[in-house]
Amino acid sequence: MNPYLPVLIVLLFGIFLGGVFSALAAFVNRRRITDSVKLEPFECGVPAIGERDKMSVKFYLTAILFILFDIETVFLYLWAMTFKELGWFGISEVFVFLVILVAGYVYVVKRGALEWD
Amino acid sequence: MTQQVLFYIFAALITLCSIGVITVRNPVTAAMYLVSDLFLLAGIYAMMQAHFVAAIQILVYAGAIVVLFIFVIMLLNLGPEARQRLKIPAPELAVLVITTIAFIGVAIMMTNGQPTVPVGALTPKAVQAAGGNTYVVGMVLFTKYLWPFELSSMLILLATIASVVIAKKDKAKAVKSTRKEQTLTSPAASSDCVEAAAPASLSNGKVVHGTR
Amino acid sequence: MGLDGQGLATDAATVQVIATIIKFVIIFILCMQVPPLMVWVERRAPALMQRRKGPNRVGIGKWRLYGLMQSLADAIKLIFKEEVVPEGANRAFYHIAPIFAVFPAFLIACAIPYGHTMQLFGYTIPLSIVDIDVGFLFIFAFSSLAVYGVTLAGWASNSKYSLLGALRASAQMISYEIPLGLSLIPIVLIFGTLDLNQIVVAQSAWIWKWGVIKAPISFLIFLICMFAETNRAPFDLAEGESELVAGFHTEFNSAKFAAFFLAEYVSMFILSLLAATIFFGGWQIPFVPYHALLVVTGGLTWLASLIGFVVLILKACFFMFLYVWVRWTLPRFRYDQLMSLGWKFMLPLGLANVFITAVVVAAIQFG
Repeated sequence: MNPYLPVLIVLLFGIFLGGVFSALAAFVNRRRITDSVKLEPFECGVPAIGERDKMSVKFYLTAILFILFDIETVFLYLWAMTFKELGWFGISEVFVFLVILVAGYVYVVKRGALEWD
Repeated sequence: MTQQVLFYIFAALITLCSIGVITVRNPVTAAMYLVSDLFLLAGIYAMMQAHFVAAIQILVYAGAIVVLFIFVIMLLNLGPEARQRLKIPAPELAVLVITTIAFIGVAIMMTNGQPTVPVGALTPKAVQAAGGNTYVVGMVLFTKYLWPFELSSMLILLATIASVVIAKKDKAKAVKSTRKEQTLTSPAASSDCVEAAAPASLSNGKVVHGTR
Repeated sequence: MGLDGQGLATDAATVQVIATIIKFVIIFILCMQVPPLMVWVERRAPALMQRRKGPNRVGIGKWRLYGLMQSLADAIKLIFKEEVVPEGANRAFYHIAPIFAVFPAFLIACAIPYGHTMQLFGYTIPLSIVDIDVGFLFIFAFSSLAVYGVTLAGWASNSKYSLLGALRASAQMISYEIPLGLSLIPIVLIFGTLDLNQIVVAQSAWIWKWGVIKAPISFLIFLICMFAETNRAPFDLAEGESELVAGFHTEFNSAKFAAFFLAEYVSMFILSLLAATIFFGGWQIPFVPYHALLVVTGGLTWLASLIGFVVLILKACFFMFLYVWVRWTLPRFRYDQLMSLGWKFMLPLGLANVFITAVVVAAIQFG
């Protein structure tokens, strides 16, 4: 049996379950809301102040650094699987890889890109 | 036979989702179509018994890169595009049609209409006997393709430095300009308005209370 | 489809499909019991820790039942609350966001081995629903999809506090995913496989072979990242009650809020199961090897697997209690402290852990 068939079944079921919750919320006790105050976004009782302003660039930096270190983690998983056969040669290869990446990481920290997020 | 049917289903869905990515007006919807694209692509990889690549496709591409896209969309507060009529001038349209036909023709010629199957050491049974998909990929990567592997670490380093330089450069400039603005405006605020209730600060840093 | 002497279908594929569906129904029912129980535990346990009594009145008829029916009352109340879609909210994503929160949790639940492979009516039935040889990576792939539920929910609400809460929560989740991944690399180095079934079998019943003894720092990093991934315990700034109201799920009422709630508790349970599987021997009973267990149960593999299943659930319950205990003991991290911890402490620690473990394992295995 294809190992991915259970994945498909469970995926469809999970989507179905989430859909049931959403639909339950939308259809039970269903009523047009004409009271406009209820429809405003919640802001602790005062009217919403101002437009959405720009979010800071720290989130972008966090996301990009996440991608880069995620890719590094993938390579490390590949190495971990073949660790026994590669022996000390493999460790030295990955040591070079890690040194280059840690150099990048040290640069990022010294430059202060990871501050106060 | 089932593989072929499944492949065509996946391919059709991917094409539809890709068309969705470029035609919807809301950028977040386009990003979500991209996620479903990548999911289906991972499905194709899984069908070809490339389990490692399928998992990594979802882990890195759908789980990290599209998250970055969505962060940027929310940072820039991009709204839906205005509806506009699609105008493709005749020369561009001709090029598009010819390229599509040529592409399909080349694909058919290369495969003679038959789906290709892995041979020799790459058949699923051989891969399984050798220790599993991840193991085989790892062995090939660290022995035969060692140089590209080390070079990829340089690529990642490059990307790290570039992203920090781009992001931090704007911030340094912005901080300097706001500081200049503050020292320019505060003397003007404190000079008039006797009934100023809020204390204003002079440019030398002393705090002046309004006289009441 | 082959038929045996008694005319019963013996086709292995059909049997496996039926077995998969039955296994999934059992796991699903198990996972759905977790949020109601956890709601009760979350109110009684801290109450007892704080020397007061929690809710103990809602019962059935005149039996108080220690307030266990409180969860049922809460669930019914939630379903009948009015749903207020805020104006300007993106309707499509407002209704879809809970789905992204719910389905990754159930998919991960399927990759965990719940017991030893058993023999039933002549068929070999493995006790994990999804049996892919890239076990770990499959789990990470789907847990990284959980970020979308949070981000889309906050964005679809058209409220800048929800959006800010969602961005912070998702930035926190992705920041702690890297140390989570890095902490499990030493496990792969030590056990040599990505398949969870084999890892549980390799950690036999003897405690000194368990993951927590062989890779203690990995366990520590995994534990901390577990708390951060589910936005719980000291890392719940993005949804804490006193900040940003309720963060990304402020504008979600009634059953959609129940969906997020459910997704959070089920992911807590899944991560607890994962911690128990990787570090605490999974379904292995301490000091009772599988063959001894078979002797005790008289050769009935299904009974041995069932006992293993119960043991796994007990270990996961310990971690769930740990979640509640830590939440009501430690104060909350400020957001910048949280991110500094993730990037400046956990990440270098994870990398150092990987490298040192590699050197030690290499020294042991090939001198």
